[in-house]
Amino acid sequence: MPTMRPTRRLTAAALAGLLLVAGCARKGGCTGDYCGTLVIATGGEPDVLLPAVSDRAITRDVTDQLFLKLADLGLSGNTVGDEDFQPLLAERWEWDTPTTLVFHLDPRARWEDGRAVTAADVAFTYDIYTDSLVSSPFRSALRHIAAVTTRDSLTVVFRFRQRYPEMFFDAVYHMRILPSHLLREVPRSQWRSAAFGRAPVGDGPYRFVAWRAGESLELSADSTFFLGRPHLRRLIWRFTPDQQVAVTQLIAGDADAVEVLVTPDNVQRACADAARLSCYPYKGSAYGYLGFNLAAPGDSTKPHPLFGDRELRRALFMTVDRGALLHNVFGDLAKVPPGPMSQLYWIWDPETRELPHDSARAARTLTRLGWTDSDGDGIRDRDAHPLAFRLLVPTTSAVRRQYARLLQEQFRTMGIDVQLDEVDFSVFNERVRGGRFDALINTWNTDPTPSSGISQSWTRAGFGRSNYGRYENPAFERLVDRAVASVASRAEAKRTWRAAIEILNQDAPAIFLFATENVAAVHKRVADVRIRPDAWSALVRTWRIPADRLTDRDRVER
Amino acid sequence: MAAWLVRRLAASIAIVWAVVTLTFVIVHLAHGSPCGQGDGRPVSPETCAALIRRFALDRPIGTQYVKYLGALLRGDLGESLALHRPVADALAEALPNTLTLALTALILDFALGVALGIYQAARERRFGDIALGNAALFVNSMPTFWLGLVLLLLLAQWLRLFPVGGLRDLVLCPRLDSLPCLADFAWHLTLPALTLGLVGAAGTARYQRAALLEVVRQDFVRTARAKGLPERRVLLVHALRNALLPLITLFGLTFPFLLTGAVLVETVFAWPGMGRLAVTAILQRDYPVVTAAALIASVMVVLGNLLADALYGVADPRIRVRAT
Repeated sequence: MPTMRPTRRLTAAALAGLLLVAGCARKGGCTGDYCGTLVIATGGEPDVLLPAVSDRAITRDVTDQLFLKLADLGLSGNTVGDEDFQPLLAERWEWDTPTTLVFHLDPRARWEDGRAVTAADVAFTYDIYTDSLVSSPFRSALRHIAAVTTRDSLTVVFRFRQRYPEMFFDAVYHMRILPSHLLREVPRSQWRSAAFGRAPVGDGPYRFVAWRAGESLELSADSTFFLGRPHLRRLIWRFTPDQQVAVTQLIAGDADAVEVLVTPDNVQRACADAARLSCYPYKGSAYGYLGFNLAAPGDSTKPHPLFGDRELRRALFMTVDRGALLHNVFGDLAKVPPGPMSQLYWIWDPETRELPHDSARAARTLTRLGWTDSDGDGIRDRDAHPLAFRLLVPTTSAVRRQYARLLQEQFRTMGIDVQLDEVDFSVFNERVRGGRFDALINTWNTDPTPSSGISQSWTRAGFGRSNYGRYENPAFERLVDRAVASVASRAEAKRTWRAAIEILNQDAPAIFLFATENVAAVHKRVADVRIRPDAWSALVRTWRIPADRLTDRDRVER
Repeated sequence: MAAWLVRRLAASIAIVWAVVTLTFVIVHLAHGSPCGQGDGRPVSPETCAALIRRFALDRPIGTQYVKYLGALLRGDLGESLALHRPVADALAEALPNTLTLALTALILDFALGVALGIYQAARERRFGDIALGNAALFVNSMPTFWLGLVLLLLLAQWLRLFPVGGLRDLVLCPRLDSLPCLADFAWHLTLPALTLGLVGAAGTARYQRAALLEVVRQDFVRTARAKGLPERRVLLVHALRNALLPLITLFGLTFPFLLTGAVLVETVFAWPGMGRLAVTAILQRDYPVVTAAALIASVMVVLGNLLADALYGVADPRIRVRAT
């Protein structure tokens, strides 16, 4: 009978022991309602935990747990007036005059170091967000606020330059209040590299514990949080190279939650695991489009030889079967937008008039414009110039690359030659900013209001900024200005917005392809999961793991 | 010996300088702007302008280079454009992870490769040799990232024998301060190290087999056999030492391969090392991090080759004599 030599037996025993130890979780002692640990897998990583200088979604997700706003959106997502806004640092507010808003801070609010949160912190925060040296990405969103002053240690006054429907939203939504006593000495030009940004001290429901670059970030609940102790004791963000890897980690059981499952296939896989995961659909904040450059590439003073022609753009729009493309790429995880808007916008109206998908009409228009296939090569031409253009796409987006190929094929059937320029995001960004493209597939992530996004991307105000295709129409802009400033009723503002969007749709500066519908997945043991579409984890402090669903990993003490 | 060492060190510094200079020029001349965010969105024109002003990216490349070299000589690697922190801090966190991965893979590569090579040489042209030779060729032909994906799919996702990525169990082992946590770390390290090590081991086995077969036909081995020494002793004691010289050359070549391979493997296995840091930095045009990563990698390669040269002297005294 074969026997093992002593050394081999020893090696085998050591290996077995190692595996046993590795497989054993340490039993912990936490019991009750405040023991949960949530591991969130994510494809991004914050650059710095200072909300004034970063608008990355993942930075927002983390800093929302560390720093409070004065008030925040309710689940309805309303941005007009102050209806449904939820008090956070401010326990109440009132309007002194139509352009003067007074907030009364909650006296129970404390920074992690024990100091009270004061009106001076709010004024300091406004000063930081609007300082050109700090160069906050939110600076332009605060342009209608003339001043923020203190009346006493718990009363702060916002004065606006003019009256408009989203004054309250602008006052509370963009700024997370920062501790002036800890940040006052940081030179304004060096805010982005301040040490505070890697070990922040906040006033929110969670406290910073550790940030391991490239790997994870951990927060622990503040058991004394004045708005109620968070049920989940620990939040851990696990950073992965991209969102697909994050989903893989969730499905493999290495994480408890992901913000978005990205593809229909992932949704099917994750949501099919009903014993372990729950899926939560919510409105997405992104919309994507094929945008035409209305100016000559690299020379914004001249019109584009093709896309300067409105009729040609309209014909191209009518060529594309947006519904079929969307079904192919997203399945049910997106909608065809009725204009330049994400599903978050309250102006979303499926009845908005758009150009139809009508390939016969598109073909007639092209022929009428003189674009015919005179040499029988399958590509329309005019004056010996083929009807051809290049489509700029970033390689970092699988969705956009997929769309590009499908669009290329749809245009080919109409006799239009589209060549794809697939470049990495840095090059895409550089070329787009310089106007060096014929057409591009772009995506915008929007905040909940159309007021800033549409103006920046589709009016003259966005030239040199986000209006890459340099679309302009004075009639459209007049209506946008009227809708933004309308203080009548929300219904009236919505009608004005719709009229504006219909003008834009008729001009076809872009083909609006998709507006995302997100699906988050969270481990089944987590209860009371509520997701606010504009910031999916904003309400995580109210999520909980009931005592009878706790696992050893939730209970473990460290 | 001292003169040789000085000559080698001077050559090494020149190589590192050349690599750094080339990297600096290439990344600065490459198309693309650092004004994009990690999550694929552009920053505002104002923020972009502030970034360019702050890091003097609007200056001529020559001016930037001189400034960079001056800082480098003072030991300052600069500040990351995207991470908003000193590059040295970012590298200090990532480098140990990459070295752990690369050294584990190196040990696996040579331990497995040498063992397989010896086994094959001892059974020349028999079934075991032929089967292992073909298997080694197959594995050696695989791209590292592809093997990583296959192992990930098979052993982590389907069979659930290993974690799908990361460095550790974030809940139970936030620090490596206990035996269970060290074991957990080893468990997380297994697949990425196996991916890197297996491909190398397949190549090493082929080298080792060829080297050993060449040595066993020499007179001193025949003499050892004629003296009646057991075959195992002939192979492992007399022949193997003389067959190790080509492996030392291979060691010098393997180290750079492991470092470059780690770039892909770290991405596949979400391993927070220098490779992942460098890839992200390249995509974001984070010039200081890219240049610093190239600097560190070139220093590693040069050190690996120096070590290989020193090992020649240990393995073959004749080389040591010539070097002096």
